Amino acid sequence: MLTKILSAAHFGLKTIPVEVEVNIASKGFPGFNIIGLPSKAVEEARERVKTALVNSNIKFPEAKITVNLAPADIPKEGSNYDLPIAVGILNALEVVALPEEKSYFFGELSLDGTLRHTKGVFLLAISAKENKIKNLFVPTDSANEAAVIKSLNVYPVTSLNDLVMHLNSTKVIAKTKYVEAQDLLEEAPVEFDFSEIIGQESAKRALEIACAGGHNLFMQGPPGAGKTMLARAIPGILPPLSEDESLEVTKIYSLTGNIPPGGSLIRVRPFRVCHHTVSKIGLVGGGSDPHPGEISLAHNGVLFLDEFPEFPRSTLEALRQPLEDGIVSIARAAGSVKFPANFMLVAAANPCPCGYLGDPRRECRCSPRQIMNYQNRLSGPLMDRIDIHLNVPTVDVEKLAAMSKVKTTAEKSASIRERVIKAREIQLKRFSKDGIYNNASMKNKHIKKYCEMADDAQLLLKQAVNNYSLSARTYFRLIKVSRTIADIAGDAKITSSHIAESLQYRIRTQNKFF
Amino acid sequence: MNWKDWQIKKLTLGDPGFPRNLTKIKNPPKQIYFRGNFEERVLDKSIAIVGSRQVTAYGREVIDHFVSLFVTDGVTTISGFMYGVDTQVHKKTVEFGGVTIAIFGCGVNICYPVENNNLYTEILEKGGAVISEYPPDSKPQLWKYPQRNRLVAGLASLGVLVIEAGEKSGSLITADFARRQGKKVFAVPGPVTSKVSSGTNTLLKKRRAILVTDPSDILRTKTVRGKSKIPNDLSDIETKIYKALEFEPLSTDEIALAISGSVVEVSKNVSVMALRGYITEALGKFHLVRS
Repeated sequence: MLTKILSAAHFGLKTIPVEVEVNIASKGFPGFNIIGLPSKAVEEARERVKTALVNSNIKFPEAKITVNLAPADIPKEGSNYDLPIAVGILNALEVVALPEEKSYFFGELSLDGTLRHTKGVFLLAISAKENKIKNLFVPTDSANEAAVIKSLNVYPVTSLNDLVMHLNSTKVIAKTKYVEAQDLLEEAPVEFDFSEIIGQESAKRALEIACAGGHNLFMQGPPGAGKTMLARAIPGILPPLSEDESLEVTKIYSLTGNIPPGGSLIRVRPFRVCHHTVSKIGLVGGGSDPHPGEISLAHNGVLFLDEFPEFPRSTLEALRQPLEDGIVSIARAAGSVKFPANFMLVAAANPCPCGYLGDPRRECRCSPRQIMNYQNRLSGPLMDRIDIHLNVPTVDVEKLAAMSKVKTTAEKSASIRERVIKAREIQLKRFSKDGIYNNASMKNKHIKKYCEMADDAQLLLKQAVNNYSLSARTYFRLIKVSRTIADIAGDAKITSSHIAESLQYRIRTQNKFF
Repeated sequence: MNWKDWQIKKLTLGDPGFPRNLTKIKNPPKQIYFRGNFEERVLDKSIAIVGSRQVTAYGREVIDHFVSLFVTDGVTTISGFMYGVDTQVHKKTVEFGGVTIAIFGCGVNICYPVENNNLYTEILEKGGAVISEYPPDSKPQLWKYPQRNRLVAGLASLGVLVIEAGEKSGSLITADFARRQGKKVFAVPGPVTSKVSSGTNTLLKKRRAILVTDPSDILRTKTVRGKSKIPNDLSDIETKIYKALEFEPLSTDEIALAISGSVVEVSKNVSVMALRGYITEALGKFHLVRS
């Protein structure tokens, strides 16, 4: 007997409906085959399904079973076909009846017949809504992901037996309740509070501006100056994810299996940390079955790259295009996939291999050639794409001690965050019709439209461009940063004092030390 | 124009144009190869300035001040074209429109270090010269550099000035040559905490060099650097920043602490002051531009 079950395949962020055709032939040598370009994980579904059925006290038929995953020419990945195959067999055996309305079945089986948390359920729910498919049968642990999509019947399935009873209407599974995305957005837990970092006031201010406008940031300073600590404190001042942003992030996290069992929307702005041994594909995404990389996982959030010059040059250069476009497109023989990658890059570096160049107390042991080679690892075009350049000097230990004795007046992350949120609200309002969220994403047409400058501001900027021979790209970056500074101050027009402050964050031509 | 467009000339010991200064030293070079303008007149008033391959902001400030006054006084600067103080001296002299002579430890057809390619041309354009005792295509080799130093010391008529030298700096060799050649050795003291000043400070402590704090100490002219005057077109906060920087170079945070202002306020003002040419920035610290 032949039966057809609906499921789905993910290709990049696109979801394609897949029909799982199960045929149990009354003639032929007993066997169990899956066709339709299954990957190894799909092939192994045979053993999982067979054992799970047996362990659920269902007799596995001794007949020729053929499973076809249609369309047959798209490669199928993952373990999510376990459930539709099992249901197909059950239906073909006439153990269960299928629901009358179109339904998606999606999930990985455990050998004991229970269902495991499966990645990609959120994307499945979105596709269900688009394709007007009402019912979703997914693992209980993953059901919350689907619960944020309106007007769907999400059935959390705990085990095969439960599903059998449900489909036969002996014991109905309760639908997962729809949850408003807004209700799920909440605060991020923070590792460091800004008030714990003593000194570094100008660095904190720069981080505030960076977070307020989503600007890329580069910190340079000797070891122990607090670069890493400053970066790790960033999540505490990042504005909360808006609903739209959260949905975008959740798609990527669902696809990569980064949502924990029982988890739902990603509520906290991503903060991804990458070690410099990361591979190029690990960073920007790729693979024969294209997978999002760290830059996509950091979408709408922060990507922190410590020891920036230690990353292989080719890996860093691969960041250039996504930094500019906020999107990474990966072309493979099977087709091209686009992943969003609109992240805020936070990079930290030592000024030289030993780290102490320019340190007032310690001698730098590097030769000028070494220093130059080290700094040359960061190409001009890459550094040109970073809006805020920051020097983080060592904090004087004595001053530190004196300051911590006197009660520190350092500002708490929460109050900095308030200003950041306010500035972001202004930006969201401004760009409501432009499809971008922050100042850093402004293209030149937006700059023309939204960055009105006072006359003296124009003059100052022109003077700076001439004096420091700034590139056209740097010129626009300065305007963007000034726009953010003005937003923090709540000013509609960019004034000369905003420009003046932004000039402190401009890219410096090679540190002069020869 | 590129430095390669200048013709290489050769002078042998005993030729009429051979610099007199060099004939006086023990072990004079048998011949010299050079590009550019290399006349006795240029060497009449000349000083060798040497120092560490790494210059700190302090060293840069000292070089700025000394070189600017040497150039005003028509003194030719001589140095070794190496990284650090050498390069800085050549660069500044050229920038201020003065004549400078670079002495290579390799042949004059080889620009070493290569980063100084443009500097080579600029030195020639400003009427300076590049000299070597080695044939034009000789490679740079470690042993040639101490030898080169005897020419650096030997050519200078006013003596050798050491700015920032570490404990084992090659500039100390140059100073040694100068002393043996009966020339004056001057040294600018550095911070006692700084490793790149320990060599100069030791020179001074052992009385092997004359302590100088101003070019006038060498030129025996009146001290030019008077009490620094605060420019009168500064705003209140700018004046405060200027005053804070008179003691030492400071970072934005340090300025903010010193004048008890906010970093935002300080950032804005230092940008404007830098654009107006009152201060400059190096390695995250702001320095006054004393003119």
